[in-house]
Amino acid sequence: MRTWIRRPRLDRLATHLVLALVCLVTVTPYLWLLSTSLKFPKEVFTPTPQWIPWPVNLGNYAEVFDRAPFGVFLVNTVIVVTGILAVQLVTITLAGYVFARRRFRGAGLLFGLFLVQMMIPIHATFLPNFLTLQSLDLLNTRVAMMLPFFASGYGTFLLRQAFRQIPRDLEDAAVIDGCGGLRFLWHVLVPLARPTLVAFALISLVSHWNDYLWPLIVTDTPDVRTLTIGLGMFVQQESGADWTLLMAATAFVTAPLMVIFLVFQRKFIESFMFSGLKG
Amino acid sequence: MSDSTAVLTGGRVSGRVGALAAARRFRLGGGSAYLYLLPSLVFLALFTFYPIGFSAYLSLFRWNVLNPEKVFVGLENYLHLWQEPLFWLVLRNNLFYALGTIPMTMALGLFLAVLVNQKLGAARNIYRVALFYPTMVPMVAAAMLWVWIFNPGIGLFNYYTAFLGIPRIEWLYDRYWALPAIIIMSIWKNFGYFMLIYLAALQGIPAELHEAASIEGAGAWRRFWRITFPLLMPATLFVFVVAIISSFQVFDQVFVMTQGGPADQTNVLTFYIYQHAFRFWDIGMGATLTTIFICLLLVLIVLVFRYVGRRVYYEAD
Repeated sequence: MRTWIRRPRLDRLATHLVLALVCLVTVTPYLWLLSTSLKFPKEVFTPTPQWIPWPVNLGNYAEVFDRAPFGVFLVNTVIVVTGILAVQLVTITLAGYVFARRRFRGAGLLFGLFLVQMMIPIHATFLPNFLTLQSLDLLNTRVAMMLPFFASGYGTFLLRQAFRQIPRDLEDAAVIDGCGGLRFLWHVLVPLARPTLVAFALISLVSHWNDYLWPLIVTDTPDVRTLTIGLGMFVQQESGADWTLLMAATAFVTAPLMVIFLVFQRKFIESFMFSGLKG
Repeated sequence: MSDSTAVLTGGRVSGRVGALAAARRFRLGGGSAYLYLLPSLVFLALFTFYPIGFSAYLSLFRWNVLNPEKVFVGLENYLHLWQEPLFWLVLRNNLFYALGTIPMTMALGLFLAVLVNQKLGAARNIYRVALFYPTMVPMVAAAMLWVWIFNPGIGLFNYYTAFLGIPRIEWLYDRYWALPAIIIMSIWKNFGYFMLIYLAALQGIPAELHEAASIEGAGAWRRFWRITFPLLMPATLFVFVVAIISSFQVFDQVFVMTQGGPADQTNVLTFYIYQHAFRFWDIGMGATLTTIFICLLLVLIVLVFRYVGRRVYYEAD
């Protein structure tokens, strides 16, 4: 132990080494994905892995677009995730405000209901929810992919914590000036809670961009399907045939989020970092 | 009264005591509180609570392709499952998946967070991105990618593990190795998020605590177990609960990589429900499984909070 403390430089070097090694392992799969997606089919079957695709074959991406409407899938995904987020921001702001600032009968019990939602994911309740949407005649629509997520126990919880940290005096003062209720919420609390709202927005966008099970069971036709479902269908349709094509489709499905993540990495990492602890 | 009040009221502060009381009364009279909650409650009721009751109700009926009219059968579905070996195999698979992923993702997350939290200069950001990016990859895409990596003939995994002296494995086609393969890819996909949660918690620990302990002669190992680890307990509880819930959500990987096979060795609860509902069109049995699933989740979470949660507050206080 002693020597460990006395040699901080060596210790730091060891840390760098271990981290670099682990990072190499975690990055390898994605690099392999990109590499394969840029190869010609014949080049895949080599006894040792060829990391640099040469000659580069961009044709795989074009062919993927020819064989399945990935452009439509992309548009649908954007519609679904932004639709979910837009409604969520309204519902969680209102609910978070009430739980942070109002005292009323049954507040504890009602808040408990919001917490239960965090514990029972759609993966448990997809069958009864499917039957509900069937009886509402909403199957195979984009709305069907959004509806179950319009309320968010998790978002409500995050905003409640954020609103609580804003001084009460502010609200007293605002009410005296006739700026109570919704106007106060909109003009004072929401701007002050912006970092939390941004964090929630990023988390919501990422998790619904990646949704699979629910969109899978409520959609039937390509015109409403999202990227993840499109990829799943593409894989079945092209099964076992050509790894370069499959990897190009996979790379395309991951690309939009990956690019946005790399550009705004600081914001993303901050948001996910504090997603667990602001309570 | 704070400065902000004066700012907001534009300096108009006369008679503010009376007005304040009125304001408080207005705010606390919470008739509108229910109105603000209404949008959320409608969706919660329709898509979280109604499904719980609805599936419990449907679980009491025989309702499938052969019996398109619901027939009340009491607890027959539950009895049937009790005697069904596949149901127990599915539960066992869920347990193996949980035991394979939860401790490993938590340990990796904690270990790497401690490393990344050191003074590493500019490289730190690169490490964070490289360790966290799998969270951004949709599970379906990750699963597809790993099907390719686990390819028995020309896959990357067999190629590189051969250098470590590990014999060639058929992975997804092998009844013993298919579930471990899914576990390996899930660890890769999930530990980065836990690392970030731990990283945030580590940054909340005052540096003076470590300095004081160092002066007292406590080595890094002791400092970690005596100071860092206990103070991380709330984060550990959070991560543990998230890990349990998400381990029961495993579906995408199974759907893409194995379809539950070979010989149901990777069949898990969500996929089993999916099969009953959308392959066999046996809604009664699907609803029964859904009900069991929900009870299992709730029981687990109550247990965690009772046994781990209590320790947390002890040690964190």
